[in-house]
Amino acid sequence: MLKFLKQVGDYAKESFQAAKYIGQGLSVTFDHMSRRPVTVQYPYEKLIPSERYRGRIHFEFDKCISCEVCVRVCPINLPVVDWEFNKEQKKKKLNHYSIDFGVCIFCGNCVEYCPTNCLSMTEEYELSAYDRHELNYDSVALGRLPEKVTLDPMVTPMREFAYLPKGVSDPHDLPKGSKRAGLRPEQILEQLEREQGDRDDAASDAEKN
Amino acid sequence: MESGIDLQGSLIDLLTNFGLPSEVAKVVWMPLPMLLMLVVATVGVLVAVWLERKISAAAQQRIGPEYAGPLGSLQPVADGLKLLFKEDIIPNRADPWLFTIGPALVVIPVFLSYLIVPFGQNLVITDLGIGAFLWIALSSITPIGLLMSGYSSNNKYALLGGLRAAAQSISYEIPLALSVLAIVMMSNSLSTIDIVEQQSGYGILSWNVWRQPVGFIIFWVAALAETERLPFDLPEAEEELVAGYQTEYAGMKFALFYLGSYVNLVLSALLFAVFYLGGWSFPVPVEAIAGWLGLSEMSPWVQVVTASLGITMVLLKTYLLVFLAILLRWTVPRVRIDQLLNLGWKFLLPVSLANLLITAGLKLAFPVAFGG
Amino acid sequence: MNLAEGVQFVSFGILAATTIAAALGVVLLENIVYSAFLLGGVFISIAGMYLLLNADFVAAAQVLVYVGAINVLILFAIMLVNKTEVFQPMKNAWFRKGATALVCVGLFALLATMVRSTSWAVLDSVAPIESTAIRLGEHFFSDFLLPFELASVLLLISMIGAIVLARREFVPEETDAQREVVFRLPERPREPVGAIGESSSASENS
Repeated sequence: MLKFLKQVGDYAKESFQAAKYIGQGLSVTFDHMSRRPVTVQYPYEKLIPSERYRGRIHFEFDKCISCEVCVRVCPINLPVVDWEFNKEQKKKKLNHYSIDFGVCIFCGNCVEYCPTNCLSMTEEYELSAYDRHELNYDSVALGRLPEKVTLDPMVTPMREFAYLPKGVSDPHDLPKGSKRAGLRPEQILEQLEREQGDRDDAASDAEKN
Repeated sequence: MESGIDLQGSLIDLLTNFGLPSEVAKVVWMPLPMLLMLVVATVGVLVAVWLERKISAAAQQRIGPEYAGPLGSLQPVADGLKLLFKEDIIPNRADPWLFTIGPALVVIPVFLSYLIVPFGQNLVITDLGIGAFLWIALSSITPIGLLMSGYSSNNKYALLGGLRAAAQSISYEIPLALSVLAIVMMSNSLSTIDIVEQQSGYGILSWNVWRQPVGFIIFWVAALAETERLPFDLPEAEEELVAGYQTEYAGMKFALFYLGSYVNLVLSALLFAVFYLGGWSFPVPVEAIAGWLGLSEMSPWVQVVTASLGITMVLLKTYLLVFLAILLRWTVPRVRIDQLLNLGWKFLLPVSLANLLITAGLKLAFPVAFGG
Repeated sequence: MNLAEGVQFVSFGILAATTIAAALGVVLLENIVYSAFLLGGVFISIAGMYLLLNADFVAAAQVLVYVGAINVLILFAIMLVNKTEVFQPMKNAWFRKGATALVCVGLFALLATMVRSTSWAVLDSVAPIESTAIRLGEHFFSDFLLPFELASVLLLISMIGAIVLARREFVPEETDAQREVVFRLPERPREPVGAIGESSSASENS
């Protein structure tokens, strides 16, 4: 009998605990309701892609030496390099170059290994098309420069999270001239140079002594 | 209690003054409250859908519908219109008759249940003697429609969803009915008007929440399960069953299911407000306020103010409960089918039986507080 | 005939027609699922008849119990065991059908004579009852107490029986002949973690 009563008591306790946890969960959900939305209203607002954003690949036809390194380093041998050997000049002549962005995974290996830097990553990411064959960019399409988000009059540019001032998580309505947290690249460079100079000074001092 | 505004009597008087026989005047009156209730139910659904989308968005730190109308409030209308104009598809090898009747069978009982929802002393279509029981009886027709649409879709997910919906709704009907029974026992009547009357008197203190805290929770859990709201939305669980019995539906038939589920939610919230939160009564009794201000209750404008205050209170309580349901939706994860049936049969049923027994005992012991 | 009576008459006609049509459909349709759904239609139109007779509580109970519980149960049973099976045409099927028809006609004749011999005129003087639920309760706990309690005990017994049937753990007796054809998954049999080393060494030895 006692055992049964204990079971009933435990069960009741567990039920109350469960109810308490549900109440806690409700309060968490309720708390979230008073927070500001974090969404970016896409066609009207756009995030500014970061410096190392790996978007659509840009290709400069004249720089290319048809070495096919991009094809070798590509995980799926995607770039198509169509060249022929020019016997007079004893040089490869590039006829066509294309990358299919329906298949590309934007890993950036080709950009990394290109010996003449004729490949580069842009910040363009709006690659939708009605037909998947339209995603197969030829050298002309690859040579186009992307539109900058900040220059589009239709779009309110938004900073990404890492580019917001310290303690701010909402890119809307930032005060003008607010700086991101931490040092900017040129400041880091300055600091490094200063440190290097200090060290050099110290070394020369030590040499003198 | 005063009789309040008698719209029916006034309209019939008016029409008879125009020279119509009184019977014809009655016939003219009859469809009016029904039409009004249909419109109220539909508009209530639109508001509930908008609330659902906005509150869900807020809970997830999104904005939600924004561009259709002010604050996106016309978005549900746009959705409804879209569904209205979509092609009506009947899948190949589905059973066209059952496929068409199914959604109607789901929606009609829910709308019929609005017969007994009171918004004020006289603001109800019919004050039936069996009000609460009628609601429970009507809500038991819905699983037939669900089974019908699940079976006729010629789709395994639809069939599974239909079977689940039927199992869920018949097993949660019992705790629901038992918790309503405890209320009915306290107010000695099945009529929704009498149930609210019994809770008036001391304002917020005399509401049934304080006398039936256990029944309050059981009713809400069971009502959520009946309306297939999120912790219990297994019949249409996207991750397992695609969309359950709605899988094959498109266009207006799908809209009927959608409408039905939201009408049912609003209806449950309305009846919840009527059963436990004092219906149209203000937290402080209106008679007392009128007494303090030295106003006569019978003067026409006091009556108008009282009636509109009553309607406002009912709607306020209802949408508060809808809000709670939406908040629960984004808080509690979906239960499994065995957990659902365990909760229904092994927890809610015994607890609601015990609640009924204790209520009966308290009614005998303290007839003053628990309705003699 | 005033308006209310006219409405009553028309609705009685509609309800009677749907009841008979749906009942015929239950019996005559080939598809058993249609029959089950039409049975729900029969129950609902009978609930409508009760409403016309001022028995609102009985009508609601009819909907709740017959449509909401029994019909759903029947549908469940049909849908969970619905096999598409081609039935063998039985010999002497006409005999069965004939016997059924005979029984049905006999029953109908019996009921019809009963209907004709009852004097229904008494019912005109019965005033409509204000609250049917209260009157039903009074009758249940006074002059119909024994049948009421017997019915509830019967339901309790059947419920307990159903639970006992459902809880019985059905373990078929395994015979050696059966064991040989048992299919196993191509997996290593589960062993406790500590025993793995021993069993592997044992298998090496053997």
